[in-house]
Amino acid sequence: MKRPITGVAAVSALALTLAACSSGGGGTDEETPGGDGADYAGETLTVWVMEGTNPDSDAFFDEVGAAFEEKTGATLDVQMQPWASAHDKFITSIAGGTVPDVAEVGTTWTPEFAEVGALVDLTDRIAEAGLDGDLVGGLQEAGTYDGGLYGMPWYAGVRAMIYNTEIFEAAGITEPPTSWDDLLAAVEAIKTSQPDVIPFPVSGDSQYGLYPWVWGAGGELAEQDGDTWASTIASPEAVEGIEFYTDLALEHGSSTAAATTWNEANALEAFQQGDVGMIVSGSWTPAKIEQDNPELFAKLGAFPFPGKDGDVAGSFLGGSHLGIFEESDNQDLAWEFVQMMSTGEFAQKWAEQSGYFSGQASLVEAQSEAADPLQQAFATQMLEGGRSLPVTPAFGKVQGAKTVETMLQSILSGSASAQEAAETAAASMDETFASAAG
Amino acid sequence: MSSSTADVAQHATPPTTPGPTPARRGALRRPPSWRRAQHRRPWLLLSPGLLLLAVLLGFPLVRVVQLSFQDYGLRELARGEDNYVGLENYREILTSSFLWQTVLPNTVGFAVVCVVLTMLVGTAVAVFLNTLPRTWRTLCLTAVMIAWAVPAVTGTYVYVWLFDPLNGLVSTVLTDVGLIDRGAVNWFAERFSFYAIATLNVVQHGFPFVAVTVLSGLMTVPRELYEAAQIDGASAWRRFRSLTVPILKPVFAVCTILSTIWDFKVFTQIYLMPGGNGGNPDVYNLGVWSYIESFAQGRYGMGSAIAVLLTVILLLITVVYMRTLFSEEEL
Repeated sequence: MKRPITGVAAVSALALTLAACSSGGGGTDEETPGGDGADYAGETLTVWVMEGTNPDSDAFFDEVGAAFEEKTGATLDVQMQPWASAHDKFITSIAGGTVPDVAEVGTTWTPEFAEVGALVDLTDRIAEAGLDGDLVGGLQEAGTYDGGLYGMPWYAGVRAMIYNTEIFEAAGITEPPTSWDDLLAAVEAIKTSQPDVIPFPVSGDSQYGLYPWVWGAGGELAEQDGDTWASTIASPEAVEGIEFYTDLALEHGSSTAAATTWNEANALEAFQQGDVGMIVSGSWTPAKIEQDNPELFAKLGAFPFPGKDGDVAGSFLGGSHLGIFEESDNQDLAWEFVQMMSTGEFAQKWAEQSGYFSGQASLVEAQSEAADPLQQAFATQMLEGGRSLPVTPAFGKVQGAKTVETMLQSILSGSASAQEAAETAAASMDETFASAAG
Repeated sequence: MSSSTADVAQHATPPTTPGPTPARRGALRRPPSWRRAQHRRPWLLLSPGLLLLAVLLGFPLVRVVQLSFQDYGLRELARGEDNYVGLENYREILTSSFLWQTVLPNTVGFAVVCVVLTMLVGTAVAVFLNTLPRTWRTLCLTAVMIAWAVPAVTGTYVYVWLFDPLNGLVSTVLTDVGLIDRGAVNWFAERFSFYAIATLNVVQHGFPFVAVTVLSGLMTVPRELYEAAQIDGASAWRRFRSLTVPILKPVFAVCTILSTIWDFKVFTQIYLMPGGNGGNPDVYNLGVWSYIESFAQGRYGMGSAIAVLLTVILLLITVVYMRTLFSEEEL
């Protein structure tokens, strides 16, 4: 038993020595002629990245760190941050002056941090590098504040519908719904054929599940008039969308009372138990299902949100920017890193590994052509119906106040009609817009 | 037998320690400068603790009060500026119907129910534990302490799962019995049932402290008193009311005040329940309101003002309660 182990150990020790030699030798060889690699030698770039996007982020950033060191000579210090506490952490470190050089910033936060002067305006750098023609529109729009682009589009995700093909087949549905009428028919078919199945739960604690119906009816959340914003969530079109969505639960028995307080994670949990027909799901979710529940993954289908009359309805295009902080002493080095992450090889690899779409339009198109039918549905949703939320820091406060979720829950629990609840929400939004402007 | 001898031994100890009288007499004979130094000494010894408290408690307290007079948002925070608006925040809070119709009734009603239940359950458990033989008492105490040791977050999730409308134990049992349809009732969506669940959670988490504190009080009450009362023919209830309650009054007072403070500022147990994180404004209490205003809305001034209001209410309640419970000499 002993011998092979010693043998292996000896061989690996030898390999390690060789590797050490060769890497040391390679380093000196490269530094002398290029000069490029020594530019930032000895410096360290601190980067915050959100946890959980890429299941194997350690390996990814080891690779990036090596490539970055080779290119610039600087060391990369990547610190993973959990999404849940990231906003608080950003704010306290902006206030305390302890920000990193570069950070992944959620698209809805970018204007907020730009407004307080924490982020660097990247417009000129992006134009200089010739990257401005190839950015994903929704991400560019979301990162623009006061005419400047404060976040380099990195990756994007979008929500669409996923469904359980077994339940659809048992209900005799052959084609995924492409209009509101189709959807209602599908709900009815599932309900009659499988009474124990929840056809399509309407989750009360999820704003992003509602927007596609508002947009699909031709409604908007808010409109800008000069410097001020006004809510349009109580407009007839928007209310029609809200009514359709909530009536699925209240009139058509598509949902369950339990879903009144569900968020997306709760809906996904129920879906994974196998007795839910379809749910609203992020493009990053199938990868998670594949990991948790391969059996269900085999039965998974996806389709874009149907608009009222059969077009693709809008869906919030979320994702992340890479932002450089104003307080960073190393903004040129930071930009090197941002470019490396958001373009070419590493951008593509990140998107592939994480189940998101790249922030570069050309890469997304390539991705959607190569993708399986499941990801194709999400790609269609993104390219044909990717929408951004009202781009104002005040909308972050609307989200913080859970104005839309409150509206949904009050309709679903029966304490207000869609019209009443929408008017309350619009008043609350307008108040937030006004206080943010003042 | 052995435990009662131990009790007697315990009570015998205090009088044997030398009283303060000789020391005081000695101090009188010392020169005045010595007395001044002696007055200073306790403060000297206290100073590290006081300094720590000043940094950890005093500064945040002052800062919160300062912030409550400002319109303080992310912009001010990032730039380190002040933006005083006087009493504007307080005016907005005190004139809003939301405070009077939703937040205050939720906070006060919930706290009153929780404190009463916590005290009742805690005292009952303590009296019960006091009657047990040593081994069983230790066993039961351990079990009770485990409930106390469970972090609030964990405890809350246990209740959220128990009452999950679709898969929770409660809904499954009620469905099997035929009382409700699976998933048809959502207890988290209604204000009353929401707080009923929160009450269960908070009382379960709060009673062990009361039980342990009251038990330690009970164990110091000399058995002879009860024996004497028993010989006089006092019933168990009478013995409890006329002996235990008066003797343990200070213990009850401390427990009630601490429970009141804890139950007024409950945050985790509400915020983590479905709908409790802002989605359902009907279930806001002062703590959640303050948090949402500060950290979700970025209105730190407003959030601070609510926090100050909560502190003032707590101070008032504590003072009034202490006054009614004790006459001045007793304090």
